[in-house]
Amino acid sequence: MAVVAPTSESVPSAPAEILPTTSKHAGGGGFRSHFGSLLFLLPGAVWLLLIVVYPLIATVIRSFFDASGQNFVGIANYKSIFSTTDIIVALKNNVVWVVLFPFLVTFFGLVFAVLTERIRWSTAFKTIVFMPLVFSATAAGLTWASIFFIDPHTGMVNAAIQTAANAINPPGLYPIDPTSGQTVSSLAATGTQPGPGGTLESKTSVSAGSTVQLGLIGISPTTLQQSGAVPAVVPTASSGITGLVWRDFSPTHPLVRGQVFPDEDGIPGLHLSLLNGSGASVATTTTAKNGTFSFANPGSGNYRVQIGANNFQAGFNGIFFLGTQSLTPTSSLSPTLQAILSLPIVDIAMIIAYLWIWAGFAMVVIGAGLAALNREVLEAAQIDGASEWQTLRRVTVPMLSPVLVVVFVTMLINVLKIFDIILNMAAPSSQAGAATLAVEIYNDFLSPTGQGLAAALAVVLFILVIPAMLFNLKRIRG
Amino acid sequence: MAGVVLEDLTKRYDGGALAVNKLNLDIHDGEFVCLVGPSGCGKTTALRMIAGLEEISSGEVRIGDRVVNNLPPRDRDIAMVFQSYALYPHMSVRDNMAFGLQLRKTPKADIDKAVVEAARILDLERYLDRKPGQLSGGQRQRVALGRAIVREPAVFLMDEPLSNLDAKLRVQTRAEIARMHTRLEATMIYVTHDQVEAMTMGDRIAVISEGVLQQAGTPKELYEVPQNRFVAGFIGSPSMNFIDLKVSQDGGVVRLTGEGAEMRPDDTQSALLRDLGTDTVTVGFRPEHLELGALAGPGVSATVVVDVVEFLGNDELIHGSSAGRDVVAIINADNTLKVGESVTLTAAPRRLHLFNPETGLRIAKDGPPANGGAPSLTTA
Amino acid sequence: MSVQAASLPVVAAPARKRRLRLRPSRLVLNVVLAAVAIFWLVPSIGIAIISLRPNGTFGQSGWWTVFTAPSQLTFSNYQQLFSAGFKAGSVLDSLTTSIAITVPVTILVTVISSLTAYSLVFGRWRGRTLVFLLIVAMLVLPLQMALIPIASLYKVVDNATGLHLFGSVIGTVIFHVAFGLPFGIFLMRNFYSGIPHDLLEAGRIDGAGEWTLFRKVVMPIGIPALASLAIFQFIWVWNDLLVALIFLGSSTHITLTMFLYGQTRALSNNYWIISTGAIISIVIPLIVFFAFQRYFVRGVLAGAVK
Repeated sequence: MAVVAPTSESVPSAPAEILPTTSKHAGGGGFRSHFGSLLFLLPGAVWLLLIVVYPLIATVIRSFFDASGQNFVGIANYKSIFSTTDIIVALKNNVVWVVLFPFLVTFFGLVFAVLTERIRWSTAFKTIVFMPLVFSATAAGLTWASIFFIDPHTGMVNAAIQTAANAINPPGLYPIDPTSGQTVSSLAATGTQPGPGGTLESKTSVSAGSTVQLGLIGISPTTLQQSGAVPAVVPTASSGITGLVWRDFSPTHPLVRGQVFPDEDGIPGLHLSLLNGSGASVATTTTAKNGTFSFANPGSGNYRVQIGANNFQAGFNGIFFLGTQSLTPTSSLSPTLQAILSLPIVDIAMIIAYLWIWAGFAMVVIGAGLAALNREVLEAAQIDGASEWQTLRRVTVPMLSPVLVVVFVTMLINVLKIFDIILNMAAPSSQAGAATLAVEIYNDFLSPTGQGLAAALAVVLFILVIPAMLFNLKRIRG
Repeated sequence: MAGVVLEDLTKRYDGGALAVNKLNLDIHDGEFVCLVGPSGCGKTTALRMIAGLEEISSGEVRIGDRVVNNLPPRDRDIAMVFQSYALYPHMSVRDNMAFGLQLRKTPKADIDKAVVEAARILDLERYLDRKPGQLSGGQRQRVALGRAIVREPAVFLMDEPLSNLDAKLRVQTRAEIARMHTRLEATMIYVTHDQVEAMTMGDRIAVISEGVLQQAGTPKELYEVPQNRFVAGFIGSPSMNFIDLKVSQDGGVVRLTGEGAEMRPDDTQSALLRDLGTDTVTVGFRPEHLELGALAGPGVSATVVVDVVEFLGNDELIHGSSAGRDVVAIINADNTLKVGESVTLTAAPRRLHLFNPETGLRIAKDGPPANGGAPSLTTA
Repeated sequence: MSVQAASLPVVAAPARKRRLRLRPSRLVLNVVLAAVAIFWLVPSIGIAIISLRPNGTFGQSGWWTVFTAPSQLTFSNYQQLFSAGFKAGSVLDSLTTSIAITVPVTILVTVISSLTAYSLVFGRWRGRTLVFLLIVAMLVLPLQMALIPIASLYKVVDNATGLHLFGSVIGTVIFHVAFGLPFGIFLMRNFYSGIPHDLLEAGRIDGAGEWTLFRKVVMPIGIPALASLAIFQFIWVWNDLLVALIFLGSSTHITLTMFLYGQTRALSNNYWIISTGAIISIVIPLIVFFAFQRYFVRGVLAGAVK
């Protein structure tokens, strides 16, 4: 069936319809048609009145009662909204979504709509980008949760970051795990002390002919096995400086430090430097499989043996994208302020996922608007001297502004009610920190004491969408 | 100001169809040239190639002395007025006209001066702060003209600017454009399908059909000496009548005969026909040159049965048929002709145009005419 | 007649536009957009591959490693899920529940919307404009407003009459229909206003009653809009989670979305279930999408209010 292309003045996708003119037909039908068409109205009217209008009023009323529904409590529920941290957090998250998402989705929709005009395979591209709309937000949330998983083995994003990070900063043989609070200094045991810049140094100074034993703890035996470690050997003296770096922990003598037990392994592969009195490195070497090392022919004077920081360079362990770590520096603030000002990283991750779903919608709607623009106006701009970019900025986009506003407002309403993706994407530990109004309503609905509160929250949600409602009404009438 | 030269200008679409076929035209500085022809003849495509809105398949466009083939529109020093006005709907009239100058970083004072001056010329001063949506069609077209004037381009291009206006506005705006041309002494290239517009406005007219230039010349030249059958039938309203007649030589006397019509050529025409070799000739004559009455000397004569009589005031427009061919004549209204009447209509030799029935070309003294260098013409 | 959608860019190629070609930046553009397209496809491909990898491999290595070991791909996850048959809480049972909710809702919404829209456009009673504006206002109403009272209402009715509304498919259907109606009525009403009244006048003069006019004149013309509405509504209800959770939360038969959500609270290593379930949940909407792309896009374009 032929689709009528709209005139250049009208917005094709926006339901900017004129209201029906009152038709005063003389004759034809009369009472019967009057009655008949009213009858048609009945099923819809009854359904809507019962399931939409009545509950609307009921919820408003319910919000003034307590959890049991028996006692009138006035605006107590509303007051508690602004004093309950959980709800403040939810409101904060709504603000984050509202500030970031509609703008971003409209922006990307516009960019894609404009760019696809110039390629031959625009239909294929649009289908690909549009398709995620067919997914449920549930399935999409679960999919993107797996993409953002913290483990670099399974989470795509962290895997990519790990590849890049390890290429730039390769981890050492014995990386520490900062997420468990481990630091380099905690590795120091007998004869070893922390040095500058994440290194470890010998406690005492050494000189030619002396030996030194440097004990470390906190090194995992499996890692040692992987490096080919064998039981530590006490070093013999030589003309140079010799020594041993070994794991100063014996399973059979767990509390004894400083003694080289047969079940304690040497630590192979450590890069060592010999530092002279002024701290400069005069020689380097690597520990053997049994942990021993030697510096031949050091000059006279006192030296210190340094175990380089790069040995303990932490590998990339993954960023917890699905957590509520704040991107804004709020850790020193009071809990309430933190609730208001923190920007949970999971919000950003979820916004990316949601953009993946909805950018196609924005693109298609804006694309339809773009296709309906009068080409000659754009040509006039070319002739007037505008470059591609100037035409876009000063002619195309302003002419598109009705469509852009429609997309923006639609997405705004959508995001106020956001629910599915949070439940399915935010980690279980982040659910409270990532919740939005709709999630709070659901949680309160389920809890035995939250019914009144849930009703109040629902009313708040309703109040938030009223501007959009008025906007639509204005658009339809005007 | 600058002239525009089109050399072998060609536009080929994917699939090989030629929208414009080796168009050669030399437009002089300050000239008002109309590109005219039926819908789809390629005139708009040619204009858009001059503007830089269509890629040129082959050939050259020179504006002034520059070859502009590879220049984008904004570097060609042109302004264009579109059929749909193409005003920026979100900008006021003032901003619409100022836009081009703003892009060129003209100082604000100069922009204001130019805009106000153009608004004065076009009587738009009251509307400067309105948006196009608040204006009538005629006002919008004037804004489009204003937008072009303000740029002071080397060449003005106009694509059927009057087509969207009603008849009365059309006449008014036509005059305005003509005034603009005189005042600015600007080179203007004007595309239209309406030959009346072309005839009244153009210093010279280029008639185009199916991508090929049929003839370029002054209105008078096109009217009096059409170089082929297409131009002859296209220019002039109502259109020229055409009759095919057989040539016979009867001992040195050349005669042309057909059913219900005959022609006695004068000496020049006889000489032409004698050397011709073809045995049929298409004879053309305009309705306004027909008279009632029998032939008294050389000329053409046709017996016409009157079909429809339209009263025009001073004249009558007669539609009739002569042995199956349609004939249209304009006769003084005093001869009140009746439907069904059979009359003899004649035209003098100097009012006659002879065409080769196969090629459609004018039969003239110096052989087939040069008409801009186009390949063989198709008859309309 | 005026229909919401203008050209449908997803299906039809745009009418030939006059546009100048960029030159070398064309290549850059194509490369950039190709990268974007790949980025867009990756999540879907990833989850599909995860569903085809053996149980247990999820935690060990990323799905992208499958390109080096393609032989590990298997349908075992699907087999395992299907082997649970139609037991309550199984994927097949959830699929059935989803169908049992979505299909009736779609049918009811399309039929009732058409009837109501007909009345709004062709009826001759006063107040049509007001009612239409109310419908427009209802378009953005969050369904959270109705959850609590309706849940209570259902429970009250269940207790009083012995019906089973709360926790049943029927109760869920009733709720979904109510919140699908505003959009459906809006869409159909806009479409019907493009039908010339003369068409019906002629019918009325011929003696046809309203029902006949509706059935034989208006509805057949309205089939494209009906298709758009049906498809849009179908996918909307199929993908819903909130309403299902509220009304079927303690029920033994759950929808596919609930099934998937339920997995998130289990062990994190059960992505073999999640991915397989996700793919299964997408199959039907995907078929609907590709088969009726044109109508779906049209519905979405008109849905720029929901």
